[in-house]
Amino acid sequence: MRAFNLIYIVEDDLITSTITELIVSQNEAFGEVKKYMNGQEAFDALQLVAQQQAEVPDLILLDLNMPVMDGWEFLDAFSSLALQKPVCVCVLTSSIDPDDIEKSKRYAEVKGYFTKPLDGDMLNQIVGLVA
Amino acid sequence: MDYLREELYRLQNTVSTIFDFIQESSLGGLWFWDLTESGNKWASSRFWRTVGRERGAWDAVLSQEDLVAIEGHVEACTANNSDSYTQLVRCTHQNGTNVWMHCSGLVLRDVAGQPYRMLGVLLDITKQRNEEVYNQELANHYGSILSNQSVYIIKTDAQGNYTYVNDFFYERFGYDSKIIGTRSIESIVEADWSKCLTVVGQCFAHPEVPHQVILRKPYKDGTIRSNHWEFKGVLNSEGQVGEILCVGYDVTLLLDNLDRSKRLLELTKQQNTRLQNFAYIISHNIRSHSANLTSLVQLMQNAKSEEQAAMFLQMLKTSTDKLAETIVNLNEIVTANSNANQPREPRRLKLEVDKTLAALNILLHQSQVTVTNNIAPDVTVNVVPAYLDSILLNLLSNAVKYRSLETAPTIAIGSYEQDGYTVLTITDNGLGIDLARNRSKVFGMYKTFHNNEDARGVGLFITKNQIEAMNGKIEIESEVGVGSTFKVYFNESIQSDLYS
Repeated sequence: MRAFNLIYIVEDDLITSTITELIVSQNEAFGEVKKYMNGQEAFDALQLVAQQQAEVPDLILLDLNMPVMDGWEFLDAFSSLALQKPVCVCVLTSSIDPDDIEKSKRYAEVKGYFTKPLDGDMLNQIVGLVA
Repeated sequence: MDYLREELYRLQNTVSTIFDFIQESSLGGLWFWDLTESGNKWASSRFWRTVGRERGAWDAVLSQEDLVAIEGHVEACTANNSDSYTQLVRCTHQNGTNVWMHCSGLVLRDVAGQPYRMLGVLLDITKQRNEEVYNQELANHYGSILSNQSVYIIKTDAQGNYTYVNDFFYERFGYDSKIIGTRSIESIVEADWSKCLTVVGQCFAHPEVPHQVILRKPYKDGTIRSNHWEFKGVLNSEGQVGEILCVGYDVTLLLDNLDRSKRLLELTKQQNTRLQNFAYIISHNIRSHSANLTSLVQLMQNAKSEEQAAMFLQMLKTSTDKLAETIVNLNEIVTANSNANQPREPRRLKLEVDKTLAALNILLHQSQVTVTNNIAPDVTVNVVPAYLDSILLNLLSNAVKYRSLETAPTIAIGSYEQDGYTVLTITDNGLGIDLARNRSKVFGMYKTFHNNEDARGVGLFITKNQIEAMNGKIEIESEVGVGSTFKVYFNESIQSDLYS
C-alpha cells in the first residue's frame, strides 16, 4: 500500500543519502525518491514545482546541519511556498540536542523528529503519521 | 498668724520632739562638733543610720583625707570671718559604698569671737550623684560609639542639611566642621542623587523605620567608595519628621567581590554552555557516522548481489575513514580548549605571516593569488606560537580556498593598534559569506557555507577557540561576491584581569 508517492531526501552527506534512499525504496509504502544536497537545492526544486504545477512531494526527510541552506532555513523558506497540497516534513538528523527537538516543534509542517540511523520501524512510524 | 510662729519657737525650746522630728524627717544627719582642743564630735542617730554604722564610728566613716577636707573648710570659713559654708562630704558606708552628703556648716563663735562649735546639716545626695555619674558615663559611652572607627553616623535636618556627623565620617572623607549646615546630597556622586532622594521620600512617608540604600561618595584620596546606609526619619514633638538619622558603612570591598563573583559566574556559565554545545556537536558528528555504519552493516547482510555487497563495503570504508577524521578533528578542538594556559612568547607578526605564506607557496602559485603583506616589520604579538601558526594557516588557506573564480584573486594583510589590542586584518576579494543569514554560524563547528568537498567545518571554530584561549577575539566583515575581512584581536596583556 502506497503511503507516499514522491519522497524528497534533503541530506548533504552522500553516504547517508544513499543509505536513506536504499532503505526507503525497500519499503513498499514509499514510492519515488528524489535527493537534494542541501536546503537550497530542495527549495529551488519546490519553487519550480509550485510554478509549473508539477508533482508535489508527499514526504520530505530533512537533515538539519547542511551547508548553504540548513534545515531551519529551509523550513523558514518552505512556509512561504504556495504548494497545491500539504507536505509531511520529517526531520531526520544525528542531533539529539534537546534545543533542536524543541525548535522543530515550532514548525507546523514538521510532523516528526527522527534520529539516525533510519530503519524499518521508523519508516512504519512515518507511515503512521499520515494514516 | 505670728502667734503660731511664736508658739512653735516656744515649743521647740521646751519639747525636744519638735527638733528631733524636723531633723529626723528632713535630714540625712546632723553634726555638732567641738572646735576647741577636745575635738569631740557628735552626730545625730539619723546620721549613723544613713551611713549604716555604730554610733561614734568616726574613723570608719570619714577617711583621714575626707576629714582634712572638712577641717579645711571650717578653717577657711574662720579665716574669711564668715559663719557658714557648704561642701560635699564623702562618707564610707558600712557596706563599703560611698555616701555623698551635702553639708551646710554653721560655725559658732564664743564671746571672744573664736570659733568653738560647728553645726553641720547633712543632706544625703548619693542617689542624685550616682545618677549624674551614670549619665556622664552614658554620655561618654555614646560619644565613643558615635565617633567609632567603622560606622558613619550623620544627621540632617528636614531640608537635608548636615546637623551632625561623627568623627569617623570627618576622618574618612576629609571634611571638617564647616560641613555642618551644608547640603548633604552634594557630597554624593551625582548619579546617585535620585536614588538618595527616593529614600529620603520614604523616610517622610514612613518615619521611624529604617530605609536602606547604597550610595557612592568620593573618598578623601579621590577614589569613589560605596556605602550602605540606613536612613530613618525621626519625628519631633509635633509629630513631623524633624531630622533624618543616617547610619552607614563602607561596602566597597563587598560590592567589588560581588561583582567579581558575578563575572566569574558569567564566565562559568559561558564555559558550561560551550561545553554543552561541544558535547552535542561531538555526539552529532560521531552519531552521524555510527548511524551510517549501523545501516551499512544491515544492508550488507541483506545484499542481493556481489556488486551490491562490494558497493556497501566501499561505503563502509569511506564511513570509517570519516569517523576517524572526525575523531582527529575533535581531538584538535579539545586540545585548543584545554590548553588555555600555555606559555606565551613574543613573535614578529610580519615574519610569521611570511612563514605561513611560504608554506602555502604552491597553493598560492597554482591559484594565482596576489598577496600583499603590509604589516610593519616591528609589530610584535604575545602568543602561544603553535596557535598563531594554526590561526594564520587556517585564515590564509581559507582565503585561497574560497577565492573568486571570476576576478584575479587578491589577499591583503595588515595590522593596527586599537584599545590595547594588536589587530591583524586579512582581506580577500573571494566568495564572501552572507552574514545576514550566517553571522551566528560563521565560527560554529561543522558549519560550512559553500558546496566545497574539502570543507570540514572545524577550521574557523578552532581558530576562534585558539584566539579566545589567548584572551583575544575574532571578527568578520563579509559580503557575498565582494570578499571577506577577518580581524584577529591579539590581547597584549599576558593574563586576563579576572585572575590577576
